Amino acid sequence: MEAMKTKTVSEIHDEVPAVKPKMNSTWLRNLTPFFGFIAIVAVFSILTGGKIIRPENLSLMLSQVYVLMISSTGVFMVMTVGGLDFSQGSILGLASIVFCWVSHYNIILGVIAATLAGAAMGAFNGLFHVKFKIASFIVTICTMYFFRGLCKYITTNGPVPASMEVVALNQTWFKVLLTAIVLVVCFFVFHCTRVGYDLRAIGAGETAARFSGCRPDLTKFLVYTMSGALTGFASFINVIQVGSITGTAGTQLETKILIALVLGGMPISGGARARFSNIIIGTLTYCVLEKSLPMVFPVSATQQLVKGIIFLIVVALTIDHKSLRVIK
Amino acid sequence: MTYIGHSGGGPAMLFPATRAGSEKYLQVHFIRSGGDMTSERITKIKASKYFGIILLVALTLLFWGIFKILSPNNFGTPKLLIGYFQTSIQYAVGGCGLYFIVVMGLFDFSVGANIVLSSLVGVLLSRQFGYWGLVVGCLTCGTLIGVFNGFLYSKLRIPSMIVTVGLMLILESIANYVVTLDTSGFPGKLTSNDILAFSHAPWNYIVSGTAFFLAFFLLRFTRIGTYCKAIGSNEFVAKNMGINVEKYKFLGFVILHFFVGIMALLTVSYGRGMLAVTGMSSMDRNFKPLMGTFFGVAFSKYGYPVTAIVIGEFIITLIFNGLVALNVPTTINDFVTGAVLLIIVTLTNRGRKGSVVK
Amino acid sequence: MGEILLRSENLNKHFGITHAVKDVSLEFAKGEIHGLIGENGSGKSTFCSMLCGIYPISSGRFILEGKELKVRTQVEGNHCGISIIVQEMGTLPGLTVAENIFLGEEERFMHGLIKNTRAMNKEAQALLNEYGFGHINASSMIEHYSFEDRKLVEIVKATYFNPKIVVVDETTTALSQSGREELFTVMNRIKNDGNTVIFISHDLGEVLENTDRVSVLRDGELVGTVKSNAVSADDLKRMMVGRELNSRYYRTDYDKTISDEVVLSVEGVTVPGQIENISFQLHRGEILGIGGLSECGMHEVGKAVFGASFDRRGSVTLKGGHAVKSISQAIRHGVAYASKDRDNESVVVADSIRDNICLPSLNGLSDRGILNNQKLGRFAQTNADLMSIKMTDIGQYVADLSGGNKQKVVLARWLGKDSGILVLDSPTRGIDVKVKADIYALMSDLKKQGKSIIMISEELQELLGMSDRILIMKDGKINGEFMRDPKLGEKDLIATMV
Repeated sequence: MEAMKTKTVSEIHDEVPAVKPKMNSTWLRNLTPFFGFIAIVAVFSILTGGKIIRPENLSLMLSQVYVLMISSTGVFMVMTVGGLDFSQGSILGLASIVFCWVSHYNIILGVIAATLAGAAMGAFNGLFHVKFKIASFIVTICTMYFFRGLCKYITTNGPVPASMEVVALNQTWFKVLLTAIVLVVCFFVFHCTRVGYDLRAIGAGETAARFSGCRPDLTKFLVYTMSGALTGFASFINVIQVGSITGTAGTQLETKILIALVLGGMPISGGARARFSNIIIGTLTYCVLEKSLPMVFPVSATQQLVKGIIFLIVVALTIDHKSLRVIK
Repeated sequence: MTYIGHSGGGPAMLFPATRAGSEKYLQVHFIRSGGDMTSERITKIKASKYFGIILLVALTLLFWGIFKILSPNNFGTPKLLIGYFQTSIQYAVGGCGLYFIVVMGLFDFSVGANIVLSSLVGVLLSRQFGYWGLVVGCLTCGTLIGVFNGFLYSKLRIPSMIVTVGLMLILESIANYVVTLDTSGFPGKLTSNDILAFSHAPWNYIVSGTAFFLAFFLLRFTRIGTYCKAIGSNEFVAKNMGINVEKYKFLGFVILHFFVGIMALLTVSYGRGMLAVTGMSSMDRNFKPLMGTFFGVAFSKYGYPVTAIVIGEFIITLIFNGLVALNVPTTINDFVTGAVLLIIVTLTNRGRKGSVVK
Repeated sequence: MGEILLRSENLNKHFGITHAVKDVSLEFAKGEIHGLIGENGSGKSTFCSMLCGIYPISSGRFILEGKELKVRTQVEGNHCGISIIVQEMGTLPGLTVAENIFLGEEERFMHGLIKNTRAMNKEAQALLNEYGFGHINASSMIEHYSFEDRKLVEIVKATYFNPKIVVVDETTTALSQSGREELFTVMNRIKNDGNTVIFISHDLGEVLENTDRVSVLRDGELVGTVKSNAVSADDLKRMMVGRELNSRYYRTDYDKTISDEVVLSVEGVTVPGQIENISFQLHRGEILGIGGLSECGMHEVGKAVFGASFDRRGSVTLKGGHAVKSISQAIRHGVAYASKDRDNESVVVADSIRDNICLPSLNGLSDRGILNNQKLGRFAQTNADLMSIKMTDIGQYVADLSGGNKQKVVLARWLGKDSGILVLDSPTRGIDVKVKADIYALMSDLKKQGKSIIMISEELQELLGMSDRILIMKDGKINGEFMRDPKLGEKDLIATMV
C-alpha cells in the first residue's frame, strides 16, 4: 500500500518536467550585451551628431581594438576555466620589447619570438598556479610586478625601438586581417575541438570534469600558456602602432580586458555560460565607449566617471545571480 | 552544497592553505592515539605558535644580512633602518585595513583611488582649517568611501572584485574634481612646513601606531574580528550561528576604507601633496598594502596578523632599499617585489590534493 | 528516568519527493540517555537536524516541556536548551578554541562593543580543564589541533551551558578509544544532571552499553522503543530490517553461474585511512555488489577502481593487462563511474545535458581532433532518448533536473561511451521509485550484453535484489562474501557489517 502511494506521487511527478524551462530569460540575458552595444552606439551617435559612425572616424574608433581583442581572447579562455590574469599588461610590454629586438634581424622571426616569449610568461603563470596550487589572482599579481619590473629595467636608459620597416606595416587592413585570423582560429579551436568543451566543463565544475576524463591541471597550464602566446602575438600589432617601447607599455591592459569582457556579458567565474561573442561585443563596446566619451565630454575625468557608471549599470543588469550562490 | 561561481570561502579562495571546507577525508579511522601522545602534542603546538614570529624575524635578519654584506656602507645602518621603517608603516596601515576584507574572501580595487581622493580632500580642507582639516578630511573621506562601497556592494549584488573596479573609475574622477576646487595656486600640494608634522617622527609613529593598535584591538577584542574570520571560513555555517553576514561585510568595507583614510594622511604628508590621476593609474597604489595583507593572511594561523603585516611590509621595504644601495636601478623594484611575493606565497601555501584552486 | 522532557508529534520531513521522516512520534524522558539507531537513510539524522534547527520541519511538531518548540537556527536551538554534536567538522578554522566554543554567544563577554578576550579565554580554559581536556589551550588557533581534539572542543561547545537535550550524532566513529570514554563520561554527567542525551551510533554494542532506552527507525518510520538492558544486539538487528523483498524492481532470476572470464582484477589496494588490502575480481556479465555501513570504505573502493583515489597503493588491472592508475586511463579502457556525490563528481551541474553526455566520448567522436557540433547533438539526443530523460531539450542545464533525471544523464554518458565496466556508487539514492525501476532494468540489460557492474550501495534490499555476488566491508576491509541466493537475507549481511 505504501508502495502504491509513492508510485502515484512519482507518476505525477515524472509527467511534468522537473522545472519550467528558463529558456526565455537565458536567451534574453545572452542578448543583453548586444543590445547594450547597440544602445551605446546609438546614444553616442546622437550625442556626437553622428560623428562616431562616419567612415573616416572608424579607423580611429577601432585603433585600440586589435591588441585588446587578441589579448582578450586569451584571457577569455583563462576566465572560462575560472581563473584570472592580471599580468597581461606586463606580458604585452615584455613581449613587445622582445619583438623590437628581433625585428632588427627579421620581422617574421620577431613575431615568432614575441609569441614564444609571451607563451613562456604564460607558462610561468600556469606553472605556479597548477603545480603549487596558488590562486591565479595572486600568481598573476606577482608576475605582473615581476614582468613589469623587467620591462622597466630594460628600458631604464631609454625606450627600445623597433626596426624602421615595422612602422610601414601600420595599415588598417593588415591589422584587421591579423585580428580576424586570430579570432577565427581561436573560435574554431573553442567551438570545434574538445578544448572548448574542456574549458567550459572545468570552469563549471572542476571535480566533475575531472571525473569525466578531463585533465584540469594540464588544461589550465596550457590555457595560461596560450593566453600568454596570444598576448605575445598582439605585441606585434602594439609595436607597429607605436614604434618603440617604453617602460610603461601595456599598463592597465589587464583591467581594460576585464572591463571589456564584463561589458560583453562574460560571467566572472567562467563556466558553461561563457560565449565567444563576449569577446567581440565586449571589446567593441569598450572601444566605442573609450573613443566616444572624449567627443562628448571633453574633460577626461568626466569621461571616466561616465565610463564607471555605465560599467556598473551593465554589470548589474547582466550578472547571472542564479549561478552565484555565494557572492564574494 | 554546491558553490558555483567565484566563491569557495574566505581567504580560502585566495589561500588554499587556510581553507577549511570538509575535512572528512582526513579522518583517520585506523590510527588510534593513546594518552601519552598528548605531551608530544603540546610541544608541537607550542613550537608552532611561536614558529610564525621566529620565521618572520628570521626572514628580516636574512635579508638585512644579505644586503649588509653586499653593501656595508649604504645599507642597514641604524639610521637608515629607521628610515625604512618609517616608509613601510604607511603601507602597513593600508594592509591592516585590507585584511578585514581579504579575510572574508572579498577584494577592493579602489583602495588606490581612495588614497588619492582622501588625500586631496584632506589637502583642500587643510587650506582653511589647518591640521584639523587635513586629518578630518582624510579620515572622513575615507570612511564615507567605505560606506559608499559597502552600500553599492550589498545593493547591486555584484562580486566585490568587479564592483570595485567600477568604483575605482568613479572615485578617480571625483578626485579630479576635488583638485579643481583647490584654488590655492598649488593644487594638491602641502607647501607650508606647518602642515607636515605627519611626515616625520613622532607624529607618523603616533598615527600608524594608533592604527595598528586599533586593528589589533578590533580583531582581538571585538566581535568584528571573530565574525569576519568566521564568515571567511564558512559563510553558511556562520549564518546558521546567527551571524548577520550582510552587516559584517558592510562593516568590513567601512573599516577598510577608514584605514585607507589614515594611510592617505601619511601618504600625503610624506609626499608633500598628491596628484590626481585618471586612466586607472591609482591601481598601482593597491598593491603595496596588499602585499602586507598577504603576509597577514599567510601567518594568520599563528594568531597575530597585524604583527605579520607590519614586519612583512618592513621586509619588503628592506629589500627595495637594499637593491638601491647596490646601485641597482630603481626600475628593478617591481621585479623584486613580484619575485619575493611569489616566493613567500609559494612557501607558505599548502594546497590539498584534490582541492579546487581558481 | 523521570518524566517526559521532549516529544515529537507526527513529525514529517520531505526533501523534494523523498519522504525522509514519516510520521514519527517519539518520546524522550528527563535524565536518560536515549539511543537512536537505524540503517543509512532511516531518518535518524534528519530527525535530529529538525530538532536542532538545522532543517525546517515539513509537518508535525516538537513539544518541549509542554510547550511547542520553534527553532529556525542552531543558535536559537541553543537558547532553547538543545544542542548537537555533528558528524562532520563542527568548528570553524581561523578562530581560536575559545572563540569557537563561544561563537554566537559573545554577549556575555561584551562591555559595550568591547569583547573581553582574556575573560573569554580564561573561562574557556576553565571549562576545558573541568571536562578533563586540559591539554587543549583555549587561546590557540583551532587548526593546530587534530580532528579528535577538535571534536572534544565541540563537545565542550555543545554541552557547557547545561542544555536540556544533547544530540550526539555518530560522533564516536571519529574518536579513539580514550576519546570515546571521555565522551561517555560527559554523557553520563548530563544524564545525572537530569538532562537528556540522544545518542546516534552504528555500533550496537556501544549503544546497548551506554543507553537506557533505544528507539529504532526504519525507512523514516519508528519501529519501536525498547529498554537497553532487556534486548540483545541481535534483537536490534532484527528490528532494523524486516522488509519484504520487492521483486518488482529487482532481478527475478537466480542463475548462479558467473563467467570465468575476469575483466577486472583488484589486488592489495590500500588507501591510507580509508581502505586496507582490498582484493577481488570482477567477471564478465557479473553484477558485484559491495555493501557495509556508510563509513566502511566502500565508496573509496569505487574511486580506487576508477583511478580517482589519491595515495592509492596496490594494483587495479583490466583484462589485457592494462593498469588503471588515473581517471583518463580508466575511461579510455572502458571503465565508467557514477559517484555517490552526484552533483560534485558525476555531472557538471552548471552545464548542459548535451555537454555532459558528450564529455567522456569526445575523443571518439572527433575526426582527427575536429568536432562536428551537429554530430555531437545527435549523439547526445540518441543517448538521452535511450534513457528517456525528462528534459526540455539537450541544451537544458543539468542543475534544473530532478535527481532521477540527473542520474539518467550520468548513465546516458556511459552508455554513449559503451563502457564495459560500470562502477555505480549508490545509483538509486534519492531517486523516486519509477526511475529506480528503470535503472534496475538497465542494469539487467547491460548484464545480458556482457557488461560488468560493480554496485556500491548502502541499501541492503538493492544489494540482495540485484547482485550476483555481494562483498560486505567493515572498517576498511572486506569482511564477508555472499553468493546470490533466494534464501539470503538482510540479517546475514548485517551480521558482517557491524
